[in-house]
Amino acid sequence: MTTSTDRSAEPGSAAGAEASLLGFLASRTKKDWDADTDLFASGGLSSLFAMELVVYLEETFDIEIAGADLRLDNFRTVTRMVSLVRRLAGSGSA
Amino acid sequence: MPDQLTDLVRFAGDLVGGRAGDWDAAGEIPRESITAAAAAGVLCAQVPTEYGGLGLTSTGNGRLTAHVGSLCSSLRSLMTSQGMAAWSIQRLGSRGQRRAYLPRLTGGELAAVAFSEASAGSDLSLIDTEIVADGDSVVLSGRKVWTTGAWYADLLVVFGQYAGGAAAVVVPTATPGVTVDRVPDPLGCRAAGHATVTFDSVRLPAGAVLGGAGQSVELLVTTALTYGRLSVAWGCVGILRGCLHVVTAHAKVREQFGKPLARHQLVARHIAGLAVDEHTAAAAAEHASRCWDERSPDMVVAAVRAKYLASTQAARGAGTAVQVLASAGARDGDFAARAYRDAKLMEIIEGSTEICQLILAEHALTTSA
Repeated sequence: MTTSTDRSAEPGSAAGAEASLLGFLASRTKKDWDADTDLFASGGLSSLFAMELVVYLEETFDIEIAGADLRLDNFRTVTRMVSLVRRLAGSGSA
Repeated sequence: MPDQLTDLVRFAGDLVGGRAGDWDAAGEIPRESITAAAAAGVLCAQVPTEYGGLGLTSTGNGRLTAHVGSLCSSLRSLMTSQGMAAWSIQRLGSRGQRRAYLPRLTGGELAAVAFSEASAGSDLSLIDTEIVADGDSVVLSGRKVWTTGAWYADLLVVFGQYAGGAAAVVVPTATPGVTVDRVPDPLGCRAAGHATVTFDSVRLPAGAVLGGAGQSVELLVTTALTYGRLSVAWGCVGILRGCLHVVTAHAKVREQFGKPLARHQLVARHIAGLAVDEHTAAAAAEHASRCWDERSPDMVVAAVRAKYLASTQAARGAGTAVQVLASAGARDGDFAARAYRDAKLMEIIEGSTEICQLILAEHALTTSA
């Protein structure tokens, strides 16, 4: 399955999570993204893709994204997703 | 699991017991039959065992869904509704909400999911049902249309605007202010209990709001619909199987011009088309369920693809079945006639054929170089 190579990603490491996410985006969309690019701005990705990101993040970083966290804003940029992952993975000690 | 699935398939077959045509004609499935299916966990068979569910995989539940779909699309529609309600609670709810609601859905209570409104069908960003916080309760106001299964339901999962975003709220139909009006004479799935549901300042505990916060309406709806699309896809595989069964049985024995229909080449072409449609629809549904079971991000688009493929092919296949059976398939309530009406509705619900095409095109555009 597609996420198997990403399991080594360290949720506690922002750089690791960012690299993993950028890699996922590049492999899915066949183009490179910046960590701060708005993924859903015009010409960007669909809300269906946002759902793919939810599934990817949960599976790759062993987190559960629910309730108030299911806001599009949390998935708008790679940087925001990294923050979300770090918060949900309880990586405050990292 | 294969043994468990065999038992469940037998259970479902016994439950329907050749009565699908009668249920269709009456526009109603006897409540004791639906309750028996719900109490056996069959209507939402993927609910984990820790919540009293059967804990089937998506693939296992899909095969069960296809079997029920090959017998009765009304009962299968109730599986889609109850399964979507359970999945929404499991996915969007807190641990406490899962513990509170899921055992009810596996224990015999019936549930439905309310999305559509008079002015918000495909474009669910337009929903104007409102959930308004008021102290330790919320007040729900609005009207939902064509809610499958609502006529039978004890609980409704209702999507509305909430706290600057959207949310799903669990509403017992017995709550004061809830009115359920049956949709008279639906085209298909006539016994699936479609209803208009009106919420007139319905007061509920704040704890009934799944996740307890405003969320993205697109993400909420895509979450619930991904389950629903996969369920519909499997149900359509069942319709195609049922059509293939009645068509081949008829074409082998019915003789015209001195030979069985099956030996007439134009009829043989119909049979080949139906067989290929059944096979490819099943392959698409199996693939999507595998993605679901592996937690692959591909599951989202795979569910849309399977639903699109299986529902369009079921509509075509049911048309073929009526054509080959001719007068033998034209009596309302018989399998081919039911399939013809039921399959057409499957091209409309959980994302119409055209909406699926837009999603699939968009996805192709973003994922191709």
